[in-house]
Amino acid sequence: MSVPDYMQCAEDHQTVLVVVQPVGIVPEDQFFKIYKRIASVSQVSIRDSQRLLYIRYRHHYLPENNEWGDFQTHRKVVGLVCITTCGAAKDWPQTAERFHGQKEVYSSTLYDSRLLVFGLQGEIAEQQRTDVAFYPSFEECADVERRVEDFVESIFIVLESKRLDRATDKSGDKIQLLCVPFEKKDFVGLDTDSRHYKKRCQGRMRKHVGDLCLQAGMLQDALVHYHMAVELLRAVNDFLWLGAALEGLCSASVIFHYPGGTAGKTAARKPSISQPADASKRHRPGAQEVLIDPGALTANGISADTSTEIGRAKNCLSPEDIIDKYKEAISYYGKYKNAGVIELEACVKAVRVLAIQKRAREASEFLQNAVYINLGQLSEEEKIQRYSILSELYELIGFHRKSAFFKRVAAMQCVAPTIPEPGWRACYKLLLETLPGYSLSLDPKDFSKGSHRGWAAVQMRLLHELVYASRRMGNPGLSVRHLSFLLQTMLDFLSDQEKKEVTQSLENYTSKCPGGMEVITLSDGLKLPPVPFTKLPIVRSVKLLNLPASLRPHKVKCLLEQNVSTASPFIYSPIIMHNRGEERCKKIDFQWVQGDVCEVQLMVYNPMPYELRVENMGLLTSGVEFESLPAALSLPAESGLYPVTLVGVPRTAGNITVNGYHTSVFGVSSDCLLEGLPSVKTSGCLVEVIPSLPRLQLSTSLPRSAHTPQPMSKEQLSSSVSVQLFNGEEQQLTITLENIGSEDIESLELTSKTVNTKDKVFGRFLSWDLEEALRHLPLKPGQTVTLSISIKVKLDFSGQENLLPDLNDDGISVTGLPISSPLRQLLKPRAENKAVSSESGKAEYSHIKTLEAVLNFKYTGGAGKVEGYYRELSLGVHVDVEPSVFFTRVSTLPATSTRQCHLLLDIFNPTEHELTVSAKNSKDLVLHPSECQRLAIQVDKFDFESLPQLYQEPASFSSPKQLEEERQHAQGCQINSKLDICWSIISLQSDYRDCMVA
Amino acid sequence: MLPFTVYFSPDVFFPQNYPLYIRSVPSQNELKFHYTVHTSLDVVEEKVSAVGKSLADQRELYLGLLYPTEDYKVYGYVTNSKVKFVIVVDSSNTSLRDNEIRSMFRKLHNSFTDVMCNPFYNPGDPILSKAFNGIVSGMMVQTS
Repeated sequence: MSVPDYMQCAEDHQTVLVVVQPVGIVPEDQFFKIYKRIASVSQVSIRDSQRLLYIRYRHHYLPENNEWGDFQTHRKVVGLVCITTCGAAKDWPQTAERFHGQKEVYSSTLYDSRLLVFGLQGEIAEQQRTDVAFYPSFEECADVERRVEDFVESIFIVLESKRLDRATDKSGDKIQLLCVPFEKKDFVGLDTDSRHYKKRCQGRMRKHVGDLCLQAGMLQDALVHYHMAVELLRAVNDFLWLGAALEGLCSASVIFHYPGGTAGKTAARKPSISQPADASKRHRPGAQEVLIDPGALTANGISADTSTEIGRAKNCLSPEDIIDKYKEAISYYGKYKNAGVIELEACVKAVRVLAIQKRAREASEFLQNAVYINLGQLSEEEKIQRYSILSELYELIGFHRKSAFFKRVAAMQCVAPTIPEPGWRACYKLLLETLPGYSLSLDPKDFSKGSHRGWAAVQMRLLHELVYASRRMGNPGLSVRHLSFLLQTMLDFLSDQEKKEVTQSLENYTSKCPGGMEVITLSDGLKLPPVPFTKLPIVRSVKLLNLPASLRPHKVKCLLEQNVSTASPFIYSPIIMHNRGEERCKKIDFQWVQGDVCEVQLMVYNPMPYELRVENMGLLTSGVEFESLPAALSLPAESGLYPVTLVGVPRTAGNITVNGYHTSVFGVSSDCLLEGLPSVKTSGCLVEVIPSLPRLQLSTSLPRSAHTPQPMSKEQLSSSVSVQLFNGEEQQLTITLENIGSEDIESLELTSKTVNTKDKVFGRFLSWDLEEALRHLPLKPGQTVTLSISIKVKLDFSGQENLLPDLNDDGISVTGLPISSPLRQLLKPRAENKAVSSESGKAEYSHIKTLEAVLNFKYTGGAGKVEGYYRELSLGVHVDVEPSVFFTRVSTLPATSTRQCHLLLDIFNPTEHELTVSAKNSKDLVLHPSECQRLAIQVDKFDFESLPQLYQEPASFSSPKQLEEERQHAQGCQINSKLDICWSIISLQSDYRDCMVA
Repeated sequence: MLPFTVYFSPDVFFPQNYPLYIRSVPSQNELKFHYTVHTSLDVVEEKVSAVGKSLADQRELYLGLLYPTEDYKVYGYVTNSKVKFVIVVDSSNTSLRDNEIRSMFRKLHNSFTDVMCNPFYNPGDPILSKAFNGIVSGMMVQTS
């Protein structure tokens, strides 16, 4: 006996073995169909008694194993069912002959046999035979099960008679010595009359009767017989049979204690329904509870010699004893080399019992022992089977790691170098089964939670083996998937050298079969999820960038209010607050515009010790149609954080969500979703895309400048110009606006804002006429429009008291003139000769003031206009203002006419140029740089009181001070119109009106 | 030379077992010991759970011989916070009896406690402590 049945378990001792075999030509599928139907009759309740007979079916059984039938009767083939096809009557004799030939094989042990003939009709089929059943076809055989039941009953009759026969002939006659095949030659020439020999015969027979009782469903009797056998055999040191008797005792006790069975596959306990799929699998008898029926046991067939007073409790072993006895039995079996299979099977049975008892550690000891049982030369296939079974048993007792270890050994055995045709498929399949034992799953999502904490060395080895096996299977797609997984999940544990090797082989594989994101489904239904390379490169943050300031859309106010009105009327509500909070944290508060390039900035770094080439890196989005413009990048080895900007163009309007990014590294393309990457920092990924808006480009006649008005950042300003002007000077700025977008510009607005000035600006700083430009609207794409803006600076350079320290009002000798009030400010500076005398004074005079303003162009058009959005383009204007002329002193002299007077003005030229000052009714006055001269102008007298009240509603001015300022302003205008003082710098060809006297 | 492997697996904080520190002499066949120690965890778990069921009082940290293989003996030790220590020694080395192994474990445990006391050590990270390494090396030299 050399082939162990690893599926055996203790309950098998109570079954009778029936072999079902095809004879002649039987289609395999038909055979197994019939086999299944036969096998569904796994337990038969015997008429007139409440006993149950359990049947174990095999479609393949070695006659060699049958020879051990005396040793343990459940190994004995007692029934044979042959299935055959017979087309014509003339073939019948041959078929019958074959059936008889088959019977011969098991003839020594057979109790009964049956032949099922399919396809034969006619005369022969008419005859009534007990051992042959005729069916017209495989479809028309409704009573197969009933036939089998009859057959089983006939087996039972034989069994019962044998039992009674053996049980009673205890005295007188010589008892036949039962022996196992390898013992036969040992007993040749032994003294058959010795007491020792007789006892041995008795003991062995007792044990045999025990087996028969057990099979016949008489558990109590079996226990009694086994006990007696143990005593007898122990006395004569017949160890092999003592072991068998002990095992029998154990089996009977197990059957008593665990009516549910120990095979662990009790889920398949369906009494009469044919069992699924694998016909070679054993069939567990069901509903064994029926067996334990004390009434039935006492009422039926307890033979004379078993004393009924021996209580069941005494005979039956306790669960602990079962294990002890198994141990003992196994140790006895271990003494015989030829009983290796028996020993191994006993170990397996004991392990199953221990698994039920949840005594894993002891079970592992049994298994440990089983590993070392030498069964002689095993074929590779048997080795694989053995390791697989060991693995299964370890799994059964909860030793997952050990189970995985043996499964892996079995897998390696499949492809051992000694095998001519290595079974890479089987190897791969077994390796896959080891994954849970090494706490590995092939889903990279399981590894994304926190850092990987596993037994890396072992797991890596397994993954390498998977890669290799799948390659040898001729499935490069699988290799790529496994290798990607290895690289992705074990990156932290790979040495630099290994990283290089893994990536090289990955590139080799992908050259044949590029890796993608599809789920690979294996033939057995296992799905291999895609492995995105989220670590190659590692992305640290994802930030959606706003459009540049000039392209940012703005919402028209009134429409915004409409939005607000749809929100909750409550200022605070905890429920809505929650929703809002969520929305807020996701939705970003700027908008992208349809048709304009949008940017997302990623901070990435390369963890590899060499340069990493990332190709085809782009954005994954949802919500709106988005045209991603992929980028290729090459990251240096062990790079630090490296900014990468991914761009794309939204093609429709709506809400866009950036879900992740896709890359192609080493020929494997991956879609990395942000939700699976908790380590990535992001400030929201949802952005609204508004309908397309036009784009405007601006160019100016003045040079650009780097200045930016203080409160605005450089980003906000699309461009700025700078110009240097003398106080009072005016210059034209020509702005050319070009529509460079794809939408018509339908409306244009221009506003200006003066920023950052403490000085009071007199008059309008920037002035323009938009009418001309607006006449060109709508502006088609590519068209331009020009706009001229005049820049005029009027600043007050007085009040710099540090420059003009000696200040007194004595110069203003004019009395009776209310003019003094507005002029006082202006007249304060009285440099006299002082300014002229010192160089430093001059430098101080040329103190430059700056004036800054921002011109805002609001424009809109196209679909975006309908939605109420507009764009702003801003132009910064930076003006450096140099002082021009100073009036250092004002005084009046009475003129010849009483209606007129002479106004005397001391004018100072702080510039470096020659200056000409002219006024109404007077000559031009030429002033050299830093020269002060007096100009006399004859003017008509006038009275401020006569001025028309420009602002009729003094109430509109909030304070008297403001009112005063307004009045001054009006008076200043009046004076200006009277005097009309101009200055010009000849060398600069500039001629400007002086507006100082505001 | 004596093959000698030390292994820690924090169980309380991280349900998944993984090695914090593993060292073997000679180092060339390290993977084999990885397998040995990995499979021994089955027995450790079994022993620990069995103890947990029976009595709640002071548990013996030393688990004793986990299982013998042909060439090696595997011993186990589990701290109260379920950190596991495993020592694998050559079967032929008869100088190491239970008492020696027990004291080795105690020494390891003390040293491990020191490692955990280091405020810069993040529980769950692989142990890189020089002092700990020194203790282990010392034991390996001693027993070889």
